Amino acid sequence: MATVKINGKEITVEDGTLILEAAKGAGFDIPTMCYHARLSKLASCRVCLVEIVGQKKLQPSCVTPVMHGMEVLTESPVVKSARSSMIELLLANHPLDCPVCDKGGECELQDVTFKFGPRNSPFGERKRRFHEEDYILSPVIIQNINRCIQCKRCVRICDEVVGASVLGSIERGAKTGETSFVKEYLDCDHCGNCIEVCPVGSLMSRPYRYQSRPWDLKGVDTVCTYCGTGCQLTVQARNGEILRVISKPDKGINNETLCARGRFGYSFINSHERFVTPMIRKGGTLEPVPWNEALKAIKDGLTEAMKDGRKTGGIASGRLSNEELYLFQKLMRGVFKTNNIDSGSRWNTGAVKSFANVMELNKGGISVYDALNADTLFIIGSSISDENPITDYLIRRLSRNKKMNIIIASPRGLKLDSSATLSLRHRPAAEGDILGGIAKVIYDKNMDKLKDLTGKEHLKNISRENIPDLTWTDWSSIESVSGFMLSANSITIAVGNDVLRGPSRIESMHILAEALRLLGKDVKLFPVFDRANQRGAWEMGVHPDILPGYSFRDGDGLGSEGIIDAASRGEVGALYVVGEDIVSDFPDGGFVREALRQVKFLIVQDIFLTETAKMAHVVLPGASFVEKDGTFTNQEGRVQRLRKFIEPQGDAKADWEIIASIGEAVEPSFHYGSVSDIFKEIKGAVPMYRGIDFEGLDGNGAIVKGSGIGGQGAGVVAGFSLRPKSEVRSQEQETPDPEYPFILITGNHLYHSGRLSLKADTLRDILPEAVVEMNEEDAKAMGVSKGDKVKVKGDRYEATLTAHINKRSVRGVVFIPENFTDVPVNMFFTKGKGFPRVKVLPLSSLSPQGRGPG
Amino acid sequence: MNGNHYNLNLKDILKKVFFVDLIQGLFITFNYTFSKTITLRYPDEEKWIPYRRFRGLHTLNRNKEGKELCVGCELCQKSCPTQCITVVPMQDKTGKGIADRIAYRWEINLLRCMFCGLCEDACPTEALKLGREYELANTSMQRSLWTKEELLAAQEIPVEFDGGVIVRARLERDDKGLKVIPDMSVQKRWW
Amino acid sequence: MLSEGAVKEINELTGKYANSRSVVMPALYVVQREYGYITEEGMREVANILGLRPIQVFEIATFYTMYNKKPVGKYHIQVCTNISCSLLGAEYIVDVLSKKLGIKVKETTPDKKFTLSAVECLGSCGTAPMMQINDNYYEDLTEEKIEEILKSFR
Repeated sequence: MATVKINGKEITVEDGTLILEAAKGAGFDIPTMCYHARLSKLASCRVCLVEIVGQKKLQPSCVTPVMHGMEVLTESPVVKSARSSMIELLLANHPLDCPVCDKGGECELQDVTFKFGPRNSPFGERKRRFHEEDYILSPVIIQNINRCIQCKRCVRICDEVVGASVLGSIERGAKTGETSFVKEYLDCDHCGNCIEVCPVGSLMSRPYRYQSRPWDLKGVDTVCTYCGTGCQLTVQARNGEILRVISKPDKGINNETLCARGRFGYSFINSHERFVTPMIRKGGTLEPVPWNEALKAIKDGLTEAMKDGRKTGGIASGRLSNEELYLFQKLMRGVFKTNNIDSGSRWNTGAVKSFANVMELNKGGISVYDALNADTLFIIGSSISDENPITDYLIRRLSRNKKMNIIIASPRGLKLDSSATLSLRHRPAAEGDILGGIAKVIYDKNMDKLKDLTGKEHLKNISRENIPDLTWTDWSSIESVSGFMLSANSITIAVGNDVLRGPSRIESMHILAEALRLLGKDVKLFPVFDRANQRGAWEMGVHPDILPGYSFRDGDGLGSEGIIDAASRGEVGALYVVGEDIVSDFPDGGFVREALRQVKFLIVQDIFLTETAKMAHVVLPGASFVEKDGTFTNQEGRVQRLRKFIEPQGDAKADWEIIASIGEAVEPSFHYGSVSDIFKEIKGAVPMYRGIDFEGLDGNGAIVKGSGIGGQGAGVVAGFSLRPKSEVRSQEQETPDPEYPFILITGNHLYHSGRLSLKADTLRDILPEAVVEMNEEDAKAMGVSKGDKVKVKGDRYEATLTAHINKRSVRGVVFIPENFTDVPVNMFFTKGKGFPRVKVLPLSSLSPQGRGPG
Repeated sequence: MNGNHYNLNLKDILKKVFFVDLIQGLFITFNYTFSKTITLRYPDEEKWIPYRRFRGLHTLNRNKEGKELCVGCELCQKSCPTQCITVVPMQDKTGKGIADRIAYRWEINLLRCMFCGLCEDACPTEALKLGREYELANTSMQRSLWTKEELLAAQEIPVEFDGGVIVRARLERDDKGLKVIPDMSVQKRWW
Repeated sequence: MLSEGAVKEINELTGKYANSRSVVMPALYVVQREYGYITEEGMREVANILGLRPIQVFEIATFYTMYNKKPVGKYHIQVCTNISCSLLGAEYIVDVLSKKLGIKVKETTPDKKFTLSAVECLGSCGTAPMMQINDNYYEDLTEEKIEEILKSFR
């Protein structure tokens, strides 16, 4: 601890605290321009100069740490005049075009000048001008270098946090400007974090360009609903029209960062494609009706459809709020008396149950900062850079100045590979075998200590010989991963939900964690989800075998796969789908279409007329994330508030209201007045949420606490079996088909998430059409280069797509994002068969005329 | 001195008897019959043209090349104490304005405006000026909402015209209402 | 495309420096020799070989003035105009060259043979005024000497 005197005020701070931070703590305001709390320190602007008594020269407070007994003056005449001169120099070349600058009103340089700066300038020279017109760097970023003050915040955030490294400062001295390499910006993350950190109006958002002034905007702090990271964001609107989304440095786990989806994916809210009235199918077409008529039709339809003992089912999206999901499962279980509910339709129901078990979700949440405070971080089963960009940014930023070994196992090359100590490339759906292999090495090396390891008999199937076949990874890299784990004291294993897509036998995860714990290591398990409230959905019990609060049970309930199976046999009378486009998600597009045709009464509640909604008998207009209240539980188990900001469009209603009114129509006692009422009930039903104060949830949310339900303690909970009964056929039994040499995998693209983001026109501008991503050498072998059109052909479906090259992906695997309506990737899939095999044909070799359009 | 008692001399008595004070007063009144008229025969025949400093209806100006000076910075809106101005900016690459930022909408609600002129002071490009049009009475609320297109049109009184004079005018009626049309060539001083 | 030899040379340079960012400067000289000036393609190639982002190479290439970002003639005449040379008539030397070649400073002759530039100290103050043509020094310049030198190149 060091005691320092700042402007005569004595304070005691930690050793190594920067003067700037100490002064801020003591209540003194030191202006800064190039300083940014979470970036490397540059000290180039010299605006934060302070006087240290006894030192002749002024020191930049943003890089000078305090020393015991130091006396600092931040407001002495010398400091004041030096500071003012520094600002004057910054302004020497800064154009005073504030009236046309989008930053005007929230510009740091403006604020600093008003507060500390000189009010006049002796500089009469012409200011430097690089260009007369602002120029476009990317679909979302527009630049005016004339305004640049060379703080290099954008360069640093692009390099240190985002990892895209497309920005740099060119030229030298007074001519320096921050820019990107020729056309390089078109290849970046389009996350707009450079816009966010720019203290002046040098980098600006294109969608927000000349839309408004910051003082016109009214905003609300809410939570992003695109992925499981759960970023805090501020939605700002002028007269009810949403104009931009910004992030605030002091809010949420993401601080100032957001990804392209979070920052630019809001425009779907005002999309004209939204349907805003309830509709009933009358004679083949959907026709708008008032709410009471729709509810009556639902009531009548349900009674009719459930005759002859037909089944009822419900599928809700992992993008609804906790309250809606809780209400949904209560409606299905309590009113419709069925356990046939599920969240999402992409995954095997049994695999989800094992996942929740092995990831010990019932033990409560874990802050991502705690999780990343580990010696070794192992990431598996997630295209984390694409699906959870902010988690990727956090890992990159936090690992920069820390000795943390990052190991990534993924079939696709990820951006985070550049920060990783070791990157494994494995065959799709081999996650379980990789984890098993690691456990096997650890077990073999510590056989005496691991005598009591549960499930060790399962490791017998894995050996040095079969690992390359099972996983396409050699034994030595598995060994080195184990080496990293054995040498670490604390290990975090981040497992993404890609393991649920294929038959990946995630249960080995449990053996590995158990083994490491027996060796005295601190093991943290960190789930990574692509849906914003996937964790909440399971916690609320939207799963046939999970009751609210992870009460696992083995019942007769059907998961989404079971429901669709039953539907194909004509056994399902009524199906209620909320916010989920199962026709596009279920991994067998043809089958699910056929099955839904057999459903007697299909109710779909959504924002857009999705493929599923087009087949429905009744469609109900739900509300988007800014039009309703609620809470979301992100992948960490952090409960955050979703805040209503504008009224739902047209006749649309918040989803919880719709669910409640359907319930009320059937069962009058099913009545809920507000979200906080529902949350109160959740607190009663889910012990993990007991300590959470709904009204008091602020920017940091609250992390759910372990409930202890099941009582088994160390992660093993009731109903856990190492081999779930509904295990689908393993991939490895399949013999490679020379005609279809590639394995097709899918997932979210960096710029898109689910189907919603496609309706946001800014994101559509960034990536308008479906792409197929493949390994560089595979592409070279076929003579395909980036941007070429190729035909991807499976045994049931084919599509023409633009080729993208991923240098680090594993060979023999192609990736098609699941987000595009015109290329429904689930059409390639066959139910129960895992990842499909496809072949890729360059279009130039198909048609004699040469390449296809574009 | 006794307060109840005062002198009443003959002169005063005569003055009262022959209404001298009254006649003197009426004489002044009578004299005006032959002096120059200063009553404004507004709106039928004459109209007052104010000085340039007058604060009347707002004008949005153009520069010499005919480009809109307004850059849609919204500072007028911010400075307005009655919040009667609405500005919505937009990007424009056609070169309509002096910058690529121009006002997409510029509206003022004159029912609220108190003609304080703070907006004029706030304008960084001298696009906004309070003009000399003051006949703003109307019978429809909608007519009080003036938009950019109307304000960009030149006002009847040219900017070069000094003002501070009375000019001949005539009242015209059409379906839109009344209009007093000045004839700048015939003018006179007020005094 | 860089020639195989150039790629090999850059790869060899990698071994001599602590990290790949340090190799950028010598590698850019290789590019300059190969192409005559620093091309966009050349910068991309250097970045590719060294495992950097192109912008990191671009930053360095623009920071240093001795990398030619534009094509230069076959003979690049760089006249020192710092103090010692200036005192001994560097400006005059520039004028003479400029007149003889018919170009101004920073320009290239139409036949793409000569480029004239005025540069900072070349470290040969003892023999001022001086100039450098490609890799060779020409010292103690006079008008006649320049005539002779230029003749030898024509």
